[in-house]
Parts: sequence; structure tokens; C-alpha cells
Amino acid sequence: MPKVDCGKLCPEWPCEQPDEFKNVWVITEASEEGVSEASLQMLTPALEIAGKLGSKVVGVLIGYNVERHAETLIRHGADEVIVVDSEDLKEYYPEVYGQVVVDLARKYKPEVILIAATMRGREMGPYIANTLRAGITADCTDFDVDEKTRDVLLIRPPFAAIMLAYIKTPFRRPQIGTARPNVFPVPPADDTRKGEIIRETVQVRKTRTRLVSRTILKREEIPIEKAEIIVSGGKGLGGPEGFKLLEELASILGGVVAGSRKAVDAGWISHERQVGQTGKSVKPILYIAVGISGAAQHMIGVREATRIVAINIDPEAPIFNQADYGVIGDYKEIVESLIEELKKLKEAGPEAVDELIKEYTIQEAAVQQG
Amino acid sequence: MRIVVGIKWVPNTQAVRFDPKTGTLIRTGVPAIVNPHDLPAAELALRLRDEYGGEVIVLTMAPPPAVQGLEHILGMGADKAVLLTDRAFAGADTLATSYVIAEGIRKIEREIGKVDLAVFGQETIDSSTAHIGAQVASWLGWPYIYYVKNAKMVNGALRVERQLENAVETFDVGLPAVVSVAMKALKARPVRLSHKLRVKLEKPIIVWSNKDLGLDPRCVGLKGSPTIVSKVTYLPEVPRRKIVYKPKDPRDAARWILAQLFQDEKTREALHKALWG
Ligand SMILES: Cc1cc2nc3c(=O)[nH]c(=O)nc-3n(C[C@H](O)[C@H](O)[C@H](O)COP(=O)(O)OP(=O)(O)OC[C@H]3O[C@@H](n4cnc5c(N)ncnc54)[C@H](O)[C@@H]3O)c2cc1C
Ligand SMILES: Nc1ncnc2c1ncn2[C@@H]1O[C@H](COP(=O)(O)O)[C@@H](O)[C@H]1O
Repeated sequence: MPKVDCGKLCPEWPCEQPDEFKNVWVITEASEEGVSEASLQMLTPALEIAGKLGSKVVGVLIGYNVERHAETLIRHGADEVIVVDSEDLKEYYPEVYGQVVVDLARKYKPEVILIAATMRGREMGPYIANTLRAGITADCTDFDVDEKTRDVLLIRPPFAAIMLAYIKTPFRRPQIGTARPNVFPVPPADDTRKGEIIRETVQVRKTRTRLVSRTILKREEIPIEKAEIIVSGGKGLGGPEGFKLLEELASILGGVVAGSRKAVDAGWISHERQVGQTGKSVKPILYIAVGISGAAQHMIGVREATRIVAINIDPEAPIFNQADYGVIGDYKEIVESLIEELKKLKEAGPEAVDELIKEYTIQEAAVQQG
Repeated sequence: MRIVVGIKWVPNTQAVRFDPKTGTLIRTGVPAIVNPHDLPAAELALRLRDEYGGEVIVLTMAPPPAVQGLEHILGMGADKAVLLTDRAFAGADTLATSYVIAEGIRKIEREIGKVDLAVFGQETIDSSTAHIGAQVASWLGWPYIYYVKNAKMVNGALRVERQLENAVETFDVGLPAVVSVAMKALKARPVRLSHKLRVKLEKPIIVWSNKDLGLDPRCVGLKGSPTIVSKVTYLPEVPRRKIVYKPKDPRDAARWILAQLFQDEKTREALHKALWG
């Protein structure tokens, strides 16, 4: 590992050598109910990086009444969990939680810190990094390790995922990144796994901020850029009533509705729900495009969707070339059937899925592989 | 109250096109604009000043052409502008940028007067890191809040409302503080001719170089930046499965779609969660 020449460093920074740092940390978001899914997903890249570095994965659990969730982190792959459980941490304030992580990091010197890029993670991450005078890379979708220098390459897609930038911080540790939710799976749980739980008490910093109120959003109010399932409509819906049908489908799927620019221009849906170059970029697990032709300016906004389903009456519609699963036909009947089938499945329970899958295997159905 | 608004002069990424042949971005001839997400930040600052008095100072760390961006915000009605510019600042990552901005705010406090609030946009369209607000708060030791949609003074504190993925929260933030304003939260007022005339006559733009700030050259620009972009690649096209199905009837279509989604490991869990929790 290269040595850092302290004389070249900014005197505002502590001078530390990279080899003083060890282990890969995952800072988790937890409430009394449990550890967030997005935080558990971070264990996947953490395990991969730790494997390449030959180091441990350490979960960091901060909050009030959260200690019992340490086991969850161990089951999903953490070797150790550092717990800071205090009534003073009942409410989250970015600089208060951030300072707790800073104090722990000064004591333990982790080599890598990963944080889920939820809205809170994106808020807290840069505070932690800056206070440690370390670099940070936002919204990573992948990681790699240069095993010679032990530099982690933090890979992020600026410019609507057209570009991939590989970022490293060769002379600063810890190496810090926030990573996109729903890019990595949650590592499978292993109930036999054992790990160490370290209870830490830290001086919780006072803040001048006070939470006045918190109201949970209704499903349909969730902004499209944060939604995991989106049912999106275009000009092909033919009118505003088409969106009522899409809203019904979105409601069963726990998703939200969005639209193309033509649907927005027609006044069928509000402009905050426009997807595309002049609208928003979305990153759902599932994007169902209904009556949308697939213009480049629309599709740039869905590059980061994990899967795209297209329903369109025109077999030549360009969207079929840019979707994962396409169905040719009139949207109204198909969406109505989808709603009906989903209701039946919901009623019948998860066992009914097997039957459905038996009926259609991916290979048989692939009449037109493109 | 005295409010500092940070803005960035950025290439208009909407005009940046992608060349699928060479696999690179075509940036030549791309005009620069004020980062669109900074306009709601400026608007919030101006509304607070209009309501409670005081002044709005718009600030940027950038090469000299960014004066045009400062003039735009002055044209909206900001009172003063500060340009932090120096060759030594070039190549800065967000740590080094936020350091210079924070030191700029400290100098404003020394030379003009106490700053009550620093307002930033949520993120920039050319880098979208959303780092600067939190980092400036860290340098200054001020409390901060992101994703703010609106703000007003209540009992001497700034009451802000913000929206997360699944909740709306209201906080009272003691001043001085940093807030970052949610994208598209407020519609920015237009530039007014009378303001532009004042800018021409009064030239309310202060320019500070690193000599004025007196910062160690090891702390700014490329030297003060821990992160290094080691490589850039391009993804012209996202790989998709492109499986197209011509159904017998609508029910067949619906069942086919669901069969695919339940067999696909990327979507299976999300559907299970939606249907059966
Ligand atoms: C600078 C610029 C910026 C732009 N920004 C955006 C942007 O941010 N977002 C955006 O979306 N667009 C944007 N556009 C517009 C874009 O180019 C397309 O015009 C727009 O996306 C098309 O919308 P659409 O697919 O809803 O409509 P259309 O292209 O008209 O397609 C309608 C589709 O519906 C299908 N259809 C019709 N009837 C039915 C039926 N009964 N059942 C099923 N399918 C049916 C048709 O076959 C057709 O494919 C932008 C354009 C420009 C020039
Ligand atoms: N060079 C800069 N000078 C002043 N403010 C900036 C600068 N860069 C970013 N900002 C502010 O910080 C916010 C977040 O930017 P970023 O962290 O780059 O996504 C922007 O919306 C601006 O308000």
C-alpha cells in the first residue's frame, strides 16, 4: 500500500496511513420494527468488497430500541455489529446521527463505509465523510477493488446512467460511498451464523433542530423518483379516464402512476409525474409502460428501471425493442384483466403462483426473441 | 436575516447529446445555465427576505464566466453576489468545493455581517451528488436539513417542511443553519429588467481569489480533493430482454405478464411484497 506524505496533505485533515484502517462498515437505518431493506441490501456489496480485501463486515446500528436487530444483520452476513442504542437517538437528525458514526469511525478506523442511498442516507453520508475529511461517492451502483493498493473503485452512473464513473480515494481512508437501493439483493439469511455484538456508548451531540411532526405518506403520494413500482401511461390511453384504470392497477401493486410528456401535455396527469428528459428519471424495480411509444426522450428517464413491461397495440412500436416483456394488444382490456388476475392471485395466496408459472415458462412464451 | 445562496453554473445537460457511434457525450457548443435545482433555492431565500427583511447574497465558486449565473440571481432580486474564483480552485471535488464555500461564508461574516442561513439546491444536474449542503454544514458546524419544500420563521427558529420517500416531516431549525431545497419545490420568479439595470449601475458582485481567502493551497482544488475519477465508460444501450408476446386474449396477456414477472428473480420479491406483504 502506498504511503501518504503528510507534508502534502491539507493541514485541516488528520494525517493517517491507509494501513491503519480495517474492515468494511455498513451504516444501517433501523426503527423499532427492524432494519430497513435498503440497509440489508448493502451487505451484499460489503461482503463482496470484504471478500476481496480479506476483511470483516461490520454492521453499525444506531437508534433507540434497536439493539435486538443486531441479530438480523449477523444472519444476513455481518461478522460484527456495533450498536449504539440510546434514548437520545430516538429522533433522527442528520448531524446528530452523523456525528455518532464519525465518533465510532475515529475510534475503529474502518477502511470502507457503505450507506444505502435512501433520502436519509444521502443526507447523512456527506456530513460523515466531510467531518472525517474523507472523500465520498454518491449513488454507487457497483464496486470493485484494486487488490494491490486496496483501493475500492466506487462506480456511479452520472448523466442518467449513460456514463459510468470509477472513483477512488487513494490517499484517504475511510473510503465512503452511498449505494442505490434495489440494485443489490439482500444476502440470504443463515440462522446458524454467529457474530459479535459490540455495545458502544457515545456522547450524543445536542442539536438546535427539533422534529415538530411526521406524517406517513399515502401510497399514491409517493414521488415517482422514489417509487419501486410505476404504472405509466401515454397518449395511447386516449383520455384521462385511462389513468383511473392505471391507478387501480398501481394500487394493487403498491405502486404509483406516472406518464409520458404527451399525457402530461394533454392534462391527463400532473407534470410532477412526467418521466423523461424534461421530466424525471425514475429507478423502479418495475416500470409498466402503457400506450407509450418509446421515444428516446421518454426512455432516457427509465434507463435505470430494473425491468420494463410494455403494453402497446402497435407491434411496430419502438418500445418493444427497449422493454423486457412486451405484450401486443389494446391496453384497456389487458389492464382490466391484469387487475382481475392480480385480485384472484392475492385472494388465492402465494401457492397459486406455481400454477401460473407452470402454464407459462419463459422459453415457451418467447415467440419473438429480439 | 442575512441569507447566502450557493449556485453552480453548469453545462445544460439537456442539450448534451450522446453519440452512439463513438459512445461519448457531445458537449461542444453546449450552453451553460444556472443549475435548475438552484432556482428554487434562490426563490426560497428571496421569499424569506421579502417576508422578514435582510439581504440575500448569492455565492458561487467557479471560473469567471459564472458571473452570468450570479447576474441571473441578482436579476431575480438578490442583493449582492460573491464570486470565489482562482486557478488554485480548479479540479475540486465536493470536499474541496465545500471548504472554499464555507470559507467564503466565513469571510462574508467577517466583512459584511452575520449569516443566519445558507441555502443550497438539492443537487446539480452535472454531478447530482447532493453533497455540498451537508459538507458546508459540517465545515461550519451548523445544523442542516435536506429536501426542504418551504420555510417560515416560528418563535425565532426556521420551521421547514420536507418530504422523504414515505413521510412528510416538519422541523424547527435553530439558526444559523444550512438547508437544501427540494427539486422543483418552488417556482422561481422571473428576472426583472429593473434588477438587471441596478446590476449594471451598482455592480454588486464581489470577487475573492484565494489570496483574499488565504487558504492553504493543499486544501483547495485538485490537491484538496480526496476523490479521483480514475476511469469513465459509457453505456450506449441498456440490455433488455425484449421478449414480445402476442396473446390469444386479454386474460392470456395478463397471465403471461404475471408469469414472467413471478419467474424473474429481479421482480418476484417486489410482487410478493405488494400482494401478500
Ligand atoms: C426536447 C424534447 C424533450 C422531451 N421530453 C420528454 C419527456 O421528458 N418525456 C416524454 O415522455 N416525452 C418527451 N418528449 C416527447 C417525446 O419525443 C414523445 O413525443 C413522447 O414521449 C411520446 O409520448 P407517448 O409515447 O405517450 O405518445 P405517442 O408517441 O403518440 O405514442 C402513443 C402510443 O400508444 C399506442 N396506443 C394507441 N392506442 C393504444 C391502445 N388502445 N392500447 C395500447 N396502446 C395504444 C400507440 O401504438 C403508440 O405507440 C420530448 C421531446 C422533445 C423534443
Ligand atoms: N461551485 C459551487 N459554488 C456554489 N454552490 C455550489 C457549487 N457546487 C454546488 N453548489 C451548491 O450545492 C448544491 C448541491 O450540489 P452537488 O453536491 O454538486 O450536487 C447545488 O444545488 C448548489 O446549490
